[in-house]
Amino acid sequence: MDLPAEPLIKIRARRAFDLMNLREIWQHRELLYFLVWRELKARYKQTILGILWVILQPLMMTLVFTIFLGKLVQVQTGATPYPLFLYAGLLPWIFFSNAVSSGSYSILASSQMITKVYLPRLVIPAAAVSVRLSDFLVASLVLIVLMLYYGVHLGWQILLLPPLMLELTLLALALSALLSALNVKYRDTGTALPVMLQVWMFASPIVYPRDLVPARWEWAYQINPLTGMIEGFRSAFLGLPINRQGLALSWLVTTALLVFSMFVFRRLEDDFADIV
Amino acid sequence: MKPIVSVRNISKLYHVGRPQGERPSLRQALTSVVKSPFARLNGRSSDDTIWALKDIGFEAMPGEVIGIIGRNGAGKSTLLRILARITKPTRGEIDIYGRLGTLLEIGTGFHPDLTGRENIFVNGTILGMKVKEIKRKFDEIVAFSEIERFLETPVKHYSSGMYLRLAFSIAAHFEPEVLLMDEIIAVGDISFQEKCFAKMRAVSREGRTIFLVSHNLGSIQNLCQRVFLLSAGRLCEEEDPQKVISIYVNEKNRESAAAGT
Repeated sequence: MDLPAEPLIKIRARRAFDLMNLREIWQHRELLYFLVWRELKARYKQTILGILWVILQPLMMTLVFTIFLGKLVQVQTGATPYPLFLYAGLLPWIFFSNAVSSGSYSILASSQMITKVYLPRLVIPAAAVSVRLSDFLVASLVLIVLMLYYGVHLGWQILLLPPLMLELTLLALALSALLSALNVKYRDTGTALPVMLQVWMFASPIVYPRDLVPARWEWAYQINPLTGMIEGFRSAFLGLPINRQGLALSWLVTTALLVFSMFVFRRLEDDFADIV
Repeated sequence: MKPIVSVRNISKLYHVGRPQGERPSLRQALTSVVKSPFARLNGRSSDDTIWALKDIGFEAMPGEVIGIIGRNGAGKSTLLRILARITKPTRGEIDIYGRLGTLLEIGTGFHPDLTGRENIFVNGTILGMKVKEIKRKFDEIVAFSEIERFLETPVKHYSSGMYLRLAFSIAAHFEPEVLLMDEIIAVGDISFQEKCFAKMRAVSREGRTIFLVSHNLGSIQNLCQRVFLLSAGRLCEEEDPQKVISIYVNEKNRESAAAGT
């Protein structure tokens, strides 16, 4: 047997500074694919209702907010009917919040695998987030129905959708990686998450338009990367004017969060198998 | 000949101060930082530590089958987990000149609702196989496991024997240059066990290296050309593997004699 000149695998004691190994993740792309495939297969095998549940959640939320904010409070959303305005924001939000919720438990939920076999652990939260992309696609059907009902046509702005989806997925991945790693180390991370998500939802222009926010809080509102993104999604779906500055800012914050999360994940992942 | 695995001065330190399974809360961590921000700089004082492995070093050649024995807690699993990259060593270095396969458990990642066919792909990729490789060996895997008729049945309806046979068969057809195994050769009935032993000998004849942790001295004697004895985190090896086994047996007898009196 001919051995390579350089070792294929080098195991070293932990280093203080160790960046993410993108090449290794790329080499494990088939594994990522099959982890996602396993979840989807199992989900849709168990329940024929699987697809229905995915649609039911945004529908119920749309109904509730349309009654309370649309009809009772009469939030003004310009020329766009409130249900359509709402759904265009809820669709990306529900993807995001579900992705972060399942992502942040993904490492704990895969403890069996982590203690028995080596894999770049980042593929685990990445798979959890990717599974939710299929829900997004299914829930988009409702948006199409709403747009047909209200007679709204797609504009060229829909071209923004792919980069927006990429950005939203990266943000969900950043938070999933960060929280899943903290969740292994600190047991109350998961408990804090639903509260955090609830606050985050109301701190983003999802159920109300951005111009309701007082001008002196504008700066804080803009730091929230979801602000620019949710508005971007709305522009993309409904052909509304695009806020370039908001989009640029949200990319900036998302990138910073991603780098920070990857760094923390890298620091903590060596200990997963010992403490999980 | 050049070694395929080279292990230099591996040590692993565990903190055992905290009860097993007890994780601190984020709230506690934050409040302790606020109360005494410099505590971390002074090092962790309250934790007891234990060296699970201490200065382990060895080299393994292609085609060697190496048995690892030792009492519970001697560090066997820790050594295997470090070689497998599941956990990192506290000190030391390892170089491996080949692909690595880990069989610490069989059926890792099996989903009960998926069929045998589907689980072959899931489990295969988790073990580290490429899809192309799985497709090429698919018929062999199925034939070896003897579950042809149940390929499209969800594995939750399998008998435990069928489940184990399928899981082992997938693992056995993964052909890494270095294979790490933990006690799992005792699967299935006698005839299937014979088949597994034969498969492992064939693997070693092809020049692949196997590390095998087992309490079953019979299978160690049967399969291994070299035997490592771990006791209290230190490694001992003799020219003659038989001698290592007798040291271990004596050690165990002394222990049970001491426990008896």
